[in-house]
Amino acid sequence: MDVTGTHIWYYFICKREVWLIAHNIAADQDDENMDIGRFINEQTYQRNKQEVLIGNIKVDRVRREDGQLVIGEVKKSSRYLESSRYQLLYYLQTLKKMGIVARGELLFPEEKRRETVELTSEAERQLDRAVEEIRIIARHPVPPLPEKISFCRNCAYREYCWAEG
Amino acid sequence: MKKTLYIFKSGELRRKDNSLYFESEERKKYIPIEDTNDIYIFGEVDVSKRFLEFVSQKEVCLHYFNHYGYYVGSFYPREHQNAGHVVMKQAEHYIDSDKRMTLARKFVHGSIGQMSQVLKYYTGRVGSGTGVLTQLLAQFKDTAKPLADAGSIEEIMAVEGHAREKYYSAFDYIIGNPDFPFEKRSKRPPLNRLNALISFGNSICYTMVLSEVYKTYLDPRIGYLHSTNFRRFSLNLDVAEIFKPIVVDRLIFTLINKKMLTKKDFDKHIDGITLSESGKKTFISELDKRMQTTVNHRHLGKSVSYRRMIRLELYKIQKHILGEKEYVPYQSLW
Repeated sequence: MDVTGTHIWYYFICKREVWLIAHNIAADQDDENMDIGRFINEQTYQRNKQEVLIGNIKVDRVRREDGQLVIGEVKKSSRYLESSRYQLLYYLQTLKKMGIVARGELLFPEEKRRETVELTSEAERQLDRAVEEIRIIARHPVPPLPEKISFCRNCAYREYCWAEG
Repeated sequence: MKKTLYIFKSGELRRKDNSLYFESEERKKYIPIEDTNDIYIFGEVDVSKRFLEFVSQKEVCLHYFNHYGYYVGSFYPREHQNAGHVVMKQAEHYIDSDKRMTLARKFVHGSIGQMSQVLKYYTGRVGSGTGVLTQLLAQFKDTAKPLADAGSIEEIMAVEGHAREKYYSAFDYIIGNPDFPFEKRSKRPPLNRLNALISFGNSICYTMVLSEVYKTYLDPRIGYLHSTNFRRFSLNLDVAEIFKPIVVDRLIFTLINKKMLTKKDFDKHIDGITLSESGKKTFISELDKRMQTTVNHRHLGKSVSYRRMIRLELYKIQKHILGEKEYVPYQSLW
């Protein structure tokens, strides 16, 4: 199974989402936050935006600065900083394996802020562990049970997870 | 929440720029597609392939009804939500007869629960017949019991039919209007006004559920209670069993008891009776209001509309077939 940046992002928030995404069960597309995300993606960084597909990763923005490659990941908010950071780190690691050295930038257009991300050996170890566990979760016949966490409140899966009775 | 568009006029539906555009003799109108969930077509409406491509891309279902208000069919756009795993599991629950009967029983259970809820609601509200309704309600408690022993889909269906017969026998007391006697259930064509209302309401309910199925990963062709032949939609018929009593039947009682519909709103034909255009409009607009009504959902911790409740029911079924949580049909509390 190809592990993508999306899997990594979900892994650090909710393991159940990893299973659902791995089984092609996407979240409710009518959800308002999904619309906002799509809108941000369409409307920001129009001057230099190229979505690039490299292997199984999809990079939001690629540019060159002082001869170095900078890859950017655009997010609606910095609330899930850890997840976003690992997603970008995974991209950096994937590029590194291809022999490309790059720098990462998390972009939060709504907050007018950006954050630089660098790949360390500790981060790489974490990523390797995450990739391994994502594969294990995906192989499970049944999704992990939902857990009520703060993320549920704005999650586009919330109705699916909590529909009962 | 996106809206449902109902078209009674005759005219042409087109794509104009990135909007829906309806043109009839009297008026021209733009309708925002992003805010449209599905479209019900009652009038003589022409559409083009370009239009169908547009609604397909925007994931909007079209439901057609003929001049008499009978369901004609749906334009169910190309599947946009695909998850092989879900369809495989859905089929597994059909092929394995134990699994299939488990689900079929649940639908009937849910349906009987909702019917008795309707009876309960009206027991204290009818002018005369409280005694009869109380008695009926007591008998109703036993109607679901044979479900446990039912060994085939046919037997499960029979339990449902038996319960429904009992349930219908209460209609004359709930309505108490000589213009709307129940007599007996007649379809294709309905032979009296009340039957015309039930048929019309049920067919709208089926399509409403179908539109919601489209928004999930479930395949509408694989039903459990209503048999599948892989050509006709049937999952929506199963799920509609849960919603017909509280959505359609209660609406009918309200419309008649509040005299919002009278015998003037029906057309007689040689072989049956149907709602007139004005009758259909009244029915639809009240139904739409009802579907937008929100009720507090115990588990989600927020209010959801009845329309949304249908979607949640489908999510529950999906979770059942994925093996994560056993399906418990929705039970209205009032």
